[in-house]
Amino acid sequence: MSNPPVGQGELLTTPISPRGELRPRSSKSSKRWQAVVVTGLVFCALVSVFTTIGIIVMLVVESWGFFADDQIEIWKFLTGTKWTVGQTQGELSYGIWPLLSGTLRITGIAMMIALPMGLVSAIYLSEYASKRIRSLLKPTLEILAGIPTVVLGFFAVKFITPYMLEPIGDFKTFNATSAGIAVGILCIPLVTSLAEDALQAVPNRLREGGYGLGATRLEVTLKVVVPAALSGIISAFLLALARAIGETMVVALAAGSTPTLTLDPRMPSQTMTGFIVETFKSESVVPGTLSYFSIYAVAAVLFLITFGITLIGQIIRMKYREVYD
Amino acid sequence: MKDPINQPREYRNDARRKMFSSSFSVICLLVSSLAIVVLATLLLSIFSTGGGWLNFEMLTASHRENNPEESGIGQAIIGSLVICSICGLAALPIGVGTAIFLEEFKPKNRLLRMFHGLVQLNINNLAGVPSIVYGILGLTAFVYMFGSFSPIRVNDQPDYEIGATYFYQTKTLGGKYVRFPATAEIQPVFEIDQKRIVRTATGERFALNVVPATTDESKYEDKKDETVILGTKAKLTNHQGVQSYETKTLGGTPVFFTAEPKYSQFAKILEPIMVTGPEGDAFELNVLSKSDAIPTDPDVQSRSVFADSPDPNKRSSASIFRENSFFHMHLPFSKSVLSAGLTLALVILPIIIIASQEAIRGVPQTLREAAFGMGATRWQVVRGAVLPSAIPGIMTGAILAMSRAVGEAAPLLAVMGGVLGTTNHLSSLMDKTPVLPVTIFKWAGDENEGFEHLAAAAIIVLLAFLLLMNSVAIFIRYRYEKKLA
Repeated sequence: MSNPPVGQGELLTTPISPRGELRPRSSKSSKRWQAVVVTGLVFCALVSVFTTIGIIVMLVVESWGFFADDQIEIWKFLTGTKWTVGQTQGELSYGIWPLLSGTLRITGIAMMIALPMGLVSAIYLSEYASKRIRSLLKPTLEILAGIPTVVLGFFAVKFITPYMLEPIGDFKTFNATSAGIAVGILCIPLVTSLAEDALQAVPNRLREGGYGLGATRLEVTLKVVVPAALSGIISAFLLALARAIGETMVVALAAGSTPTLTLDPRMPSQTMTGFIVETFKSESVVPGTLSYFSIYAVAAVLFLITFGITLIGQIIRMKYREVYD
Repeated sequence: MKDPINQPREYRNDARRKMFSSSFSVICLLVSSLAIVVLATLLLSIFSTGGGWLNFEMLTASHRENNPEESGIGQAIIGSLVICSICGLAALPIGVGTAIFLEEFKPKNRLLRMFHGLVQLNINNLAGVPSIVYGILGLTAFVYMFGSFSPIRVNDQPDYEIGATYFYQTKTLGGKYVRFPATAEIQPVFEIDQKRIVRTATGERFALNVVPATTDESKYEDKKDETVILGTKAKLTNHQGVQSYETKTLGGTPVFFTAEPKYSQFAKILEPIMVTGPEGDAFELNVLSKSDAIPTDPDVQSRSVFADSPDPNKRSSASIFRENSFFHMHLPFSKSVLSAGLTLALVILPIIIIASQEAIRGVPQTLREAAFGMGATRWQVVRGAVLPSAIPGIMTGAILAMSRAVGEAAPLLAVMGGVLGTTNHLSSLMDKTPVLPVTIFKWAGDENEGFEHLAAAAIIVLLAFLLLMNSVAIFIRYRYEKKLA
């Protein structure tokens, strides 16, 4: 063969192209090509930056359309206890609290289910489970995480309410509890996988130290591993919280479309996301009207809350992460 | 130091503490298995509700109001597939590009490093933004384009459009449908119907006074130059470079007003024009006036219309129709599959970026060093060494992100509204379409009980689709792991 012998001058000056064939290529042109590529990559990265900017600008500008309306005062929006925007009769009330409290009620119920169950499952998977049980539990949680939320909403309204709640109490057809349970179910896999990652990141020598002092597995888990992974666990909780607050299809199907300000979990309770979907569903939303602008005002509150919680979760995970290496 | 053997019992690794530990493990197992119970209950309840309704007719039919027995998800399946393809085509290159930028092109410059960190933080935060907020963004940015164009309403024409042909269609006396193109030349004569702001040839602007023909002439005697009779005809002309309608006032002054909207929805045929028949045959339309008798010859009848007739059924009103080619596009995108696909792309973009970043991070450093050692530029390293070994991981992440997109209902509801069925098939990117998750949502909320079963059947189809996608992802992951080993 006429392959040039290794080490001869010609080979050294011809860089190998990515495809592997020998082709003389001036390094100046490949550097120029690289600059083109990097510019393209920067534009890709800018898409996500512009998405955030787009969301913020849109919410500010269009909410302004809501608050600039003569009928609207901002403090009544933030403190009012009645919400009738989008209803055709009756006088206009636009206090966010019925919607906000609906969100908080359903999120509260969901967190009561998802946080303990998710954390316990994470502890079990990370510290106790044998390989066989793990290979059964992990895929189950992955499937559960992949179930579309509209399916869980259907499950809530067609199964949880009639077969689990109505036999035990005076629950309305659409109520906060069934929506809360369904949202909780969809948050469990999220809490589990994030908390498990945090627990697995704790180095084994900490556990070994615990065992060396004569601690049982329970004591090592609760007194050594969990405290060491606390920042990760808290950030998992916060992400689940943000997810539950922003959850839309479950509450749109199961929580009803009546904004209520009550602590009774058996009552219907429209959430912020539920209101937005209800408005879109009716297809009566005409740009420029008050109920169109109200979507943006509610979405702005929703975005502020979820973005804030996610940001705090990020900061906690980055700042308070225990670094062991 | 005390002798450990002689210490009190509770300090020792005694039976009670061991019992606590093992009973905790049992509790843990029970709680964790609840997930399996929940999943099993969910699947069982859905299969028992919808299993009997799943059949071939249901997979191909489209939605029928109040008739669950004959409704189906044919259009919804196609709609979901099309929207997810658009979403994947948009999100995959941008997502992988961002991941490469974040992982392989870490800058040394301090300012650029800040930008880098900002992008990373931003992506992690975007992953936590509720999908309904993306839906509202899609509605504002793609459907209405921040209001920078005129919003498109039913049967209205957008500002910028390609790939659409407009034509007027009318029925002749013989019951034959004929069409003629809706272009400026054949633009039908406009009849003044309401008060309009007009300009004179000298540029003077005033509100045109429109009076019914029955009005006593003495009432507008002194301002004849500003008055027209209701129904006065205006012709399309080019006035100072702008397409305008031109008409004459009672005083004889020519006045102009803007030709808006671009095409009127209904046209009246007043002069003979060339039309195309149903078989593509072109002929001149025979326009009869009010006083003419209906022609007796069926051949002439099929080529004649009345210009004006007291009988509204015989009036030759032509209405506008649109024929879209497959590349039909307009601005703003309005409520269309393109808007929906791009919105979903924004939803899954952070997921694809994070998954691709992980895949790229998993490529061993030795590969990069070897490529650098051969004198490759950074991009050559990425293209030749990093990407080929990261592709399986990226594909797995992309498929999982796509399966999230398939099940998303909230953003689509915001962008397209709750469409359940359309009369014509999806033919271009500007059409609306029903999709699986929105169909399920609407059916689940329907009062007709049959739709509850149908929704469950649609859920089974959706879950089967997700299962298929996940199997492909697992298959890729499996092959990838074998290759590395």
